[in-house]
Amino acid sequence: MATRAFLAVISSSPNRCFITPRMIKNQASAFSSSSSSSALQFQRHSRKPHRISRSFSSETNSSVLQPPDISSLAKTARISLTPAEIEEYEPKIRQVIDWFGQLQQVDVNSVEPAIRADMEGGNLREDAPETFENRDSIRASIPSFDEAYLKVPKVLNKE
Amino acid sequence: MSTTLFRTIQPNQFSLFGSTLLRWRRSSNFSVRCCGSQTTTTTQKIKQPSQSRIAPKNHGSNKLDEILRDYEAVIGIETHVQLSTLTKAFCNCPNSYGSHPNTSICPVCMGLPGALPVLNSKVVEFGVRLGLALNCDLSLKSKFDRKQYFYPDLPKGYQISQFDIPIASGGFVDVDIPLEFGGGHRRFGITRVHMEEDAGKLLHSDTGDYSQVDLNRAGVPLLEIVSEPDMRTGIEAAEYASEMQRIVRYLGVSNGNMQEGSLRCDVNISIRPIGQTEFGTKVEIKNLNAFSAVSRAIDFEISRQALLHNQGQADQIVTETRLWEEGAQKTVTMRKKEGLADYRYFPEPDLPEVILTQEYVDSIRASLPELPEAKRRRYEAMGLGMQDVLFLANDVSVAEYFEAVIGKGADVKSAANWIMSDIAAYLKNEELSINDAKLTPQELAELIAAIKDGTISGKIGKQILFELLAKGGTVQGMIKAKDLVQITDPAEIEKMVLKVVSENPKQLEQYRSGKTKLEGYFAGQVMKMSKGKANPALLNKILQEKLNAKD
Ligand SMILES: [Zn+2]
Repeated sequence: MATRAFLAVISSSPNRCFITPRMIKNQASAFSSSSSSSALQFQRHSRKPHRISRSFSSETNSSVLQPPDISSLAKTARISLTPAEIEEYEPKIRQVIDWFGQLQQVDVNSVEPAIRADMEGGNLREDAPETFENRDSIRASIPSFDEAYLKVPKVLNKE
Repeated sequence: MSTTLFRTIQPNQFSLFGSTLLRWRRSSNFSVRCCGSQTTTTTQKIKQPSQSRIAPKNHGSNKLDEILRDYEAVIGIETHVQLSTLTKAFCNCPNSYGSHPNTSICPVCMGLPGALPVLNSKVVEFGVRLGLALNCDLSLKSKFDRKQYFYPDLPKGYQISQFDIPIASGGFVDVDIPLEFGGGHRRFGITRVHMEEDAGKLLHSDTGDYSQVDLNRAGVPLLEIVSEPDMRTGIEAAEYASEMQRIVRYLGVSNGNMQEGSLRCDVNISIRPIGQTEFGTKVEIKNLNAFSAVSRAIDFEISRQALLHNQGQADQIVTETRLWEEGAQKTVTMRKKEGLADYRYFPEPDLPEVILTQEYVDSIRASLPELPEAKRRRYEAMGLGMQDVLFLANDVSVAEYFEAVIGKGADVKSAANWIMSDIAAYLKNEELSINDAKLTPQELAELIAAIKDGTISGKIGKQILFELLAKGGTVQGMIKAKDLVQITDPAEIEKMVLKVVSENPKQLEQYRSGKTKLEGYFAGQVMKMSKGKANPALLNKILQEKLNAKD
């Protein structure tokens, strides 16, 4: 379950990546690391300037990123961690974030931003309805029903 | 407490305050917050409304008026439009409102492990259509992102949406404010339009400690339209929202039905002392499922906040979401926001970027129908008054009907009058849409022509109209079958006039001794004798001759 929190952190970069520290080192040395604070701000190729903002809550323009707050990460991922686990994960997640700190030092001003990982675009589907055959087994795996509805604990406030 | 003050004020008065007393001011730069990200946008240059736009009405020295005079409201709207596609956004499940709960589901929209989303091409097409209709710039490359939050109506634990690169951005929409609210033309900026999926439907049982979920709606495609904070009154906001409904209906991308939730408006509103450039504390209002609710909720909220300001309690205006209570005609706190929610957006790894070619965009642009604003300007140029223009262009089916009638050569003003008065009243009464009317545009044009050339009287025309609306048929057929041709032969009319005059000697005497009002009585008798077919002008002329004749 804790993997979800990690994934969210890892995936928070503009380009999703599963990168090893070794790769980052190679990349960092391939580009001159004369970084600037604008490394995170891309200019979109359109008539209007468009700022791409980061989804880190601890957003910062400096190349040094804030250390992770494991308790709040766990809270956003709806998982509970023991103090021992927090202590165990802290250095691991800090390491992940530090890798991104390194990435941010790369000067990408001259590089056209890739808004997505390298995938073939245009993979669209016809708007033709098809009923999924095995709906019963999906419903069978739902723990609690109230007539035709899923039964869940009462919730009123969305956040 | 201020609440006691509110109770004494009728809700309809609020709309008056809103539309007449809040001054129109604007600055050229706005900083807006949307979707948790700070974006700086320059608003569209807009036509400055003329000074005479709304003359502040004099309500006497009402204390609330005085308070409201010192503040202006800043209003932005987020509109969610549910698309009328056949399938959901990322799976083939049927997108059908009102199906048996939890039957339109599959591994993709239920978020089962290993299931992969594939984008529905219609969603892209509808996004481009709406983006173009709202005068936006399109992103030839855009992408999807995951917006994470935990809620029982969201099976995956995240919503697939567009975060930093929406499919369309930087547009505007033009609206006409109805005359009864002061009239005038306005332009409101559109910040962005993005594609996303809907969540399931959550029902809260009144009794019991649980909620019910229907996931048929989970994964249904939406377009979210975010406006610039360009509106200043409840009326402007309601007009903006109705224009969104007209546009999506004209485009055929959604049924725009507010009651069913196919068009949902969330309003962001703050007020500030006139002259202040910074925004006040923003409050969000939800649960607005009618245009009147949009307008009234805003006017209520303006008054509430202005009062707090004026009582030195501005610090009690907090960032929160409030619900509009239709029954009580007020907004109430739904939840207070503790800072911005952290949705931890990141690019959706399971979907490729959305690439549009210029040819594709151009082909869609070429296929766009005439939009409400263009139609209104064209109708105006035809010489129709603004009330007619707004009525006819409001509903695309009515507009098509009207155009079919004038396409058959009917007089523009007569066609507008017939449609707006008797036909509209009939349809409303019978709860029919104009598409259900048995009277074809061809026959309405015939009817107008028959009255114009004097074949039948206007009165007979009305009778025929209602028969045709109910039963169908042709004007010519009905005139022949019922022998309704107008009597235009002076000799025949004279005969009837003479008969009526001779049968009413007492009234004749009264008339001749000065009671000239009795002319109407005689005219009525003659018309009755002719079964309504006598030409009224001829009848009156001959009747006057006979009544005033010295025998
Ligand atoms: Zn599905």
